Amino acid sequence: MAPAENHEAAAVARPALSDYLRWSVDHKIIGVQYGVAAFLFFIVGGAMAMLIRLELWTPALDLMVSGSAYNSLFTMHGTIMIFLFIIPMWAAFGNFVVPLQLGAKDMAFPWLNAFAFWLIPPAAVVVLLGYFVNPAEAGWTAYPPLSTLFSGDGQTLWALGAHLLGISSIMGSINFIVTILNMRPPQMTLWRMPLLCWAVLATSIIAVMATPFLAGALTLLLLDRVAGTTFFDAAGGGDVLLWQNIFWFYSHPAVYIMVLPGMGVLSEVLSVHSRKPVFGYRMVGLSSMGIAFVGFTVWAHHMFTSLQPELRIPFMITTMIIAVPTGIKMFSWLGTIWGGKIRFTSAMLFALGFMSMFVIGGITGVMLAALPFDIHVHDTYFVVSHFHFVLFGGSVFAIYAALYHWFPKITGRMMNERLGKIHFLFTYFGFLFTFFPMHIVGMLGMPRRVAVYVPEFQLWNQVISFSAFVLGFSTFIVIYNVIRSYYRGPIAGANPWRALTLEWATTSPPPPTNFDDDPIPYEDPYGYGTEAAAVYLAVVERAFDGDSSGR
Amino acid sequence: MEDNRRNFPSISPAAVVVAAVFLLVSALGTYWFTTFVPLVLPAQASAESKSVDELFTILVIIGGVVFFLIQGMLLISVLFFRARGEERNDGPTYHGNPLLEIVWTIIPAMVVVFLAVISFNVWTQNSEPKAAVNHVNGEEIAIEVSGARYAWTHTYATGRLSPDGVPIVINSGDTLHTYIGQNVELILQTQDVIHSYWVPAMRVKQDLLPGNPATGGRPTEIRFTPVRVEGELYPATYPIVCAELCGDGHGRMRGTVVVHENESQFLEAFYEPAIYAILNPPADPVLRGEIEIQRYICNSCHTLDSLEWSSRTGPSLNGIADRAGERVAGQSAEEYIALSIWNSGAFRVPGYNEQMAAFGPDVMESANIMSPEQLYAIVAYLCTQGEQSDCDQENASSAIPEAIETVFGMQVDINFGQGDAAADSADEAGGESE
Amino acid sequence: MSSYADVHRKTKLGEREAALRLKNNRLGMTIFQASWIMAFLALIVVNWQLRYSYAQWPPAGVTPFDATLPSIATFALLLSALLTRRGWQGLRRGDRAQFTRSWRLALLLGLGFVASIVYEFITVSEAALATHYGVTLRLMTGFHLVHALAIMAVLLYVLRQDASGAYSGDPRQSWAAEGAAKLWYFVTVAWILFYVVLYWLR
Repeated sequence: MAPAENHEAAAVARPALSDYLRWSVDHKIIGVQYGVAAFLFFIVGGAMAMLIRLELWTPALDLMVSGSAYNSLFTMHGTIMIFLFIIPMWAAFGNFVVPLQLGAKDMAFPWLNAFAFWLIPPAAVVVLLGYFVNPAEAGWTAYPPLSTLFSGDGQTLWALGAHLLGISSIMGSINFIVTILNMRPPQMTLWRMPLLCWAVLATSIIAVMATPFLAGALTLLLLDRVAGTTFFDAAGGGDVLLWQNIFWFYSHPAVYIMVLPGMGVLSEVLSVHSRKPVFGYRMVGLSSMGIAFVGFTVWAHHMFTSLQPELRIPFMITTMIIAVPTGIKMFSWLGTIWGGKIRFTSAMLFALGFMSMFVIGGITGVMLAALPFDIHVHDTYFVVSHFHFVLFGGSVFAIYAALYHWFPKITGRMMNERLGKIHFLFTYFGFLFTFFPMHIVGMLGMPRRVAVYVPEFQLWNQVISFSAFVLGFSTFIVIYNVIRSYYRGPIAGANPWRALTLEWATTSPPPPTNFDDDPIPYEDPYGYGTEAAAVYLAVVERAFDGDSSGR
Repeated sequence: MEDNRRNFPSISPAAVVVAAVFLLVSALGTYWFTTFVPLVLPAQASAESKSVDELFTILVIIGGVVFFLIQGMLLISVLFFRARGEERNDGPTYHGNPLLEIVWTIIPAMVVVFLAVISFNVWTQNSEPKAAVNHVNGEEIAIEVSGARYAWTHTYATGRLSPDGVPIVINSGDTLHTYIGQNVELILQTQDVIHSYWVPAMRVKQDLLPGNPATGGRPTEIRFTPVRVEGELYPATYPIVCAELCGDGHGRMRGTVVVHENESQFLEAFYEPAIYAILNPPADPVLRGEIEIQRYICNSCHTLDSLEWSSRTGPSLNGIADRAGERVAGQSAEEYIALSIWNSGAFRVPGYNEQMAAFGPDVMESANIMSPEQLYAIVAYLCTQGEQSDCDQENASSAIPEAIETVFGMQVDINFGQGDAAADSADEAGGESE
Repeated sequence: MSSYADVHRKTKLGEREAALRLKNNRLGMTIFQASWIMAFLALIVVNWQLRYSYAQWPPAGVTPFDATLPSIATFALLLSALLTRRGWQGLRRGDRAQFTRSWRLALLLGLGFVASIVYEFITVSEAALATHYGVTLRLMTGFHLVHALAIMAVLLYVLRQDASGAYSGDPRQSWAAEGAAKLWYFVTVAWILFYVVLYWLR
């Protein structure tokens, strides 16, 4: 790292804060808009999680006025975290980083890009307006008939909001696919593309193919609620499993929409911070596609307790198969850091934390695929634990890794490493002790989505709640770090991590056109350790930081 | 530099030793860890639970090895491959190893195929239809479970007839009675939303799916066979839990499985007394009403202190007799109470959102079938819930049947208990209260 | 010094990017078509799964739909799609007259298609509407009609633009016409799927 002595002199002009509040078609502005909006929703959803854990401190219903209030709380928690935090957060990093990694001047469709972002605030308002009527309380999965015949108007607003977010996601994804396929420099073949781009490509393919099913499901839900149709009302000849099929055909792939970009981030961060090429680059890229493909064939494992018994077996098999490409990634990452020169930066710590935690989510994923065992733990805290290991231990850890890794590029300033490490410790242990015990209460007999439980689980729940508060507290550290570093952080220079991918071959933050002329990518995005790479890095350093780099 | 590309990253002997020790320890540790499996699972109270737990143990062993392998390699990397001090060197330019990549594709693939096969075996073994289901007294009887927000109701079609030729159906409320070795097969049917019938100790779970009542609903089945649990005192009880979000009271939608030690215990402690009670109901309508009202799912929504009910989904029944007469102009208290049970769609107390379930002589859900006699008894019981009852206490025995006749045009044949005793006690029923 | 946003606006629209933009538009359209056809497939899944909650299909007591008018409408729509293609090819050759003629006819046929499907939508029998046989017909035709009408509006807009001489034979200058035609193919393909499922798969 090469912090400049003189902060002001070396600083590159960056967008004014007011630029972020306006309509802009610049992918870097839109990326930050996505990121800040998503993080605000993360805080809202996190606060809801804290209230959930506060309610569960005792076995009785005491904090909430009714079970319904609790139900709407976790419904909103899930909806916000999935549709308003993780998915937009990956759009944030995808937007900022992908065109830069491709050496492109912008996304393929800048206007569409901005439009996709600006759909999110009104959609969020629509979903949250539910709190002024009867908020949605059927869980984020909104199973009818609970969500049709037995829910208030908030459920209608929820469906409308989710509809808008789905459309936003489709538009964003079309944009990513076209950008990645069409806008690479001629030297960058698909097999020389950074792995984040591979992951975003796979994610976007899933999103464009699956999200229309969500649109279909939500349309039927709205018709049942508003127009009096009976698609999901058995008394009118409808079928409640129809919703489950269409909804999960989107929502299971949506899990991969949420975690695949994180896997792309891991490949970047692990390679750069251990100064070693990604092990088995092609297999890592292909396994993203493998996960995307197999991910479309597993949806009914969410219906193991409702599907006709004879249809359950095929879905058990496909679900287990998906462990194979996931395992390839995990082993390739281990191969990447093995024998490297690991720098324990905050980004690297979160990447290592991802590997350490995500593997637990992967193992419990295979356990849940085993049908006879799943029957016991289906819809229990075991499942809650499993998907938090995937979506928090996976996605959120990767989001933090990406934040620490690309913050210098986004703002031109370094994050505070000491605070980053404290943040990591609180997050890692807070997370582990929040979610690991949930496996046990789930197996012992505690179903999910309950505000009251039998007193014998109280001690476990208090351990979980206490750890959750620690985890919640850790968020304040990173918020403080981001704000402080934005103003006071050391100047980053163009390439503080000495990375080979193209986003580092321009100033931090990059100028509006990203690159002065057409950048030529280094032949191997992860070719660390060669003389040629060292020469390339020296050239980049001289070109952008001149003598002020203070080597 | 070109050489550098081909070099396998050098591994220090220390790392090899640490790795070997670590793997050994992890294998032993995982094996030792499986001794804790029973601690994180409920009692093994069914034949199915044993094979499920064995499968889980295998999953824990394989998962444990994967877990320790990966965490161990992470730990070794973190300890041995860190850049020291201000080192600015890069690691070796090692791009991969096709053999290794094939190995770590094939081995996990083989492992998941193995897991799929053993899971499939456990599944087919557990879901095989069994002979002699619900065997009671040498006969197979039908046991139905009805789920309604937020209570379970279990009904046993005994196959016997009362002296009047009416089939005897035992309604045991939220409790399922069974005995060790009985091949239980429950027919599940929901009255409203999706519920999920879960008995953790039996490792079974099945959703209840709303179906079209006109075409016989959408029954689902669940099967298990209780077995003896070492150290358990019989009759043993295990919880029944609703595992699918069903609304406000989802968390308190629970029930109990009572496992009797053997069939004769089951018959003696539950089955025969229940049939006797149906054949010989208390002559006093109020006493009978107190029994009848507890057969139904009223407690899932209503509060009634005398019976220790505390749900707040529906209006409280405390002091209902004081208010019933003022609800609808021109309607007596008896009429109002009878009507709000049998024709529940007609009323909704202001401030409450949910519609009460339907009860009556010919409703779809067998758990909610309620004869005129039962209605009479329940109205008589509810008429005692209040300080200065609006009900016609003096002439209850005629006022309530008259009310039922007025609103439903149905003649209530007051025939409680046997013979003259019924007529005698019916006369004094109105005056009695708890 | 101008603001960050100004710099961005001025420098983004380079001349040499026009070719790339056409390439992007074409790929984007293909992906959109592949994506949004899934929404139509979702409704086909709805139709298909609901069939199996009935003992027979069409349900007892419901007369099957008559496929005559929809078949003629389908034929008209196919013809209309071919005409938009012909018109666009004319435009690329610089034959503006052929473009105008073909697209006018295509729009007329499209209008005929919409009118017949609206008629189908309205005249579903009460007996059919009491079951999902009729309801899914309304769902699917309604969903399709929304798309057909919206895209006909696009076709009409392109026709009006052309009248003011907005397009030339250069595909870079006439993307709107190409894109509109491709959207219309999409409507045609989606309808053929629906047509087969609704009227022929019993």
